[in-house]
Amino acid sequence: MAVPEIFNTIEQSGISTWIRESDSLFGFYFILLFHTFGLSLLVGSNALIDLRILGVASDLPLKSLRWLFNVMWAGFAINATTGVLLLTAYPTKALTNLVFYAKLTLIALAVVTMQRMKTRVFGDAGLSEAAMIAKGKMMAMWSLVFWCGAITAGRFLAYTYTYITYGRTG
Amino acid sequence: MNFAHLHLLLNHFPIVGTMIGCGLFLVSFFGKNEDMRRASYIVLAAMALLTIPAFLSGFGAQIMIGKQPGVSDALIQRHEGSAMLALWFMEATGAFALVGLWQSHRNLRPARWNIATVLVLSILTMGLMARVGNTGGDIRHPEINPGQARVTEGTVGSIIRVFEPNPTKFSLAMVDSKYWWAFMMDLHFIGLALIVGTVGLLDIRILGFAKQMPIAPVHKFMPWAMAGLGVNVVTGLLAFIGESTNYIDDAAFWLKMLALMLLGLNVAAFYLTGIFDRVESLGPGQDAPISAKLIAVSSLILWVAVITLGRYIQIFLDTIPLSGTQASIR
Repeated sequence: MAVPEIFNTIEQSGISTWIRESDSLFGFYFILLFHTFGLSLLVGSNALIDLRILGVASDLPLKSLRWLFNVMWAGFAINATTGVLLLTAYPTKALTNLVFYAKLTLIALAVVTMQRMKTRVFGDAGLSEAAMIAKGKMMAMWSLVFWCGAITAGRFLAYTYTYITYGRTG
Repeated sequence: MNFAHLHLLLNHFPIVGTMIGCGLFLVSFFGKNEDMRRASYIVLAAMALLTIPAFLSGFGAQIMIGKQPGVSDALIQRHEGSAMLALWFMEATGAFALVGLWQSHRNLRPARWNIATVLVLSILTMGLMARVGNTGGDIRHPEINPGQARVTEGTVGSIIRVFEPNPTKFSLAMVDSKYWWAFMMDLHFIGLALIVGTVGLLDIRILGFAKQMPIAPVHKFMPWAMAGLGVNVVTGLLAFIGESTNYIDDAAFWLKMLALMLLGLNVAAFYLTGIFDRVESLGPGQDAPISAKLIAVSSLILWVAVITLGRYIQIFLDTIPLSGTQASIR
């Protein structure tokens, strides 16, 4: 399959070139750093709620963790932004790798699960703690699976590419 | 100061410290003294932490003296292999010591299986560390090894040697497959998310945010932080073994290790000075004392530093001079 010319156009643009090639400490690695911060805020917070629902720290009132959904969305916003910037720097590398699509799918599944948990488990103020846990168990388990999968895909993306930039392999 | 200095400074901790920790543990074991047992566990855990830079600095020392005349590569390799074996026993001892400390916090004493495991592991570690010291001393002490350059083993040495990895093969095994490398990095990031989530939650609560949470239950997430740390220590050490020349002369990497050691001090200040006892009982809405808040702030700053420095390792390659030996290692 031919690699679309548009990837080349993006890579030739000023911002893409700058992110890829700048020696500035605030270039590529700075964006990667914030991608990592966002990841730890998003996945770290979600994992806390998942673990709590699955029985860890069971004397911690579940409702007292509701604020963590705001942290998750903040983490998501950071990673959506930095993710787009990273994609701008290396469109060919990401978009010619199936792992990238697997990563996006897993993130979508994880975020949908997170939002469902927020509305169904935390959204109904009338639910008892036990009812919340009963409702959330499966979601918590899948949430952990999806996030671990998303991180795994993200890490493999860095090493399994076919093209590094347009027309350049390895 | 250079890596040879640093290695000589640090390498006594795993050997002497483990002897002290193990000695205290044996006294507590036969004397049934829980305070002494806790003290021995704390020493062993601290030694597990200090063993990390002691191990890492060895690669720097090797680069510095390895090319000099009269220094035997075979002896260095043997020392390195013995360190690579003792390292894992030391880290396992430290991990079980932390599990024991957690258990003694909840039930006044560690579980029986934990005491038995630390008994066996700490004695084995003590023996293996002694061998690491011995094989290291043979490298450049003509007064103990006049035969320089020749590897000679006694009965015990030749038995232990069977279990010691070949450093070169170990290193190559880590970088042989890009999938294995990606998998290690993957675990390193999952561990990172786990640590930041759990430790961050406790820090944030102590600082006075999300005060609706009582502190004792929040603290129950800490075994998951320890699990994350364990995963990251193992994957981090394996990555270093695989690509040691890419880390050893990197300022960001060493500052990251420094931040990690400071986090160890921070944890000690939190748990061993009574600050933790004062915050554990705090319920919803209650404020933590300023001392606890300072610990929480430094914890957050240091973890951010660890992540930042870790991400910047790749652009700070080659920032520490290895006194002219640079060209020979790449």
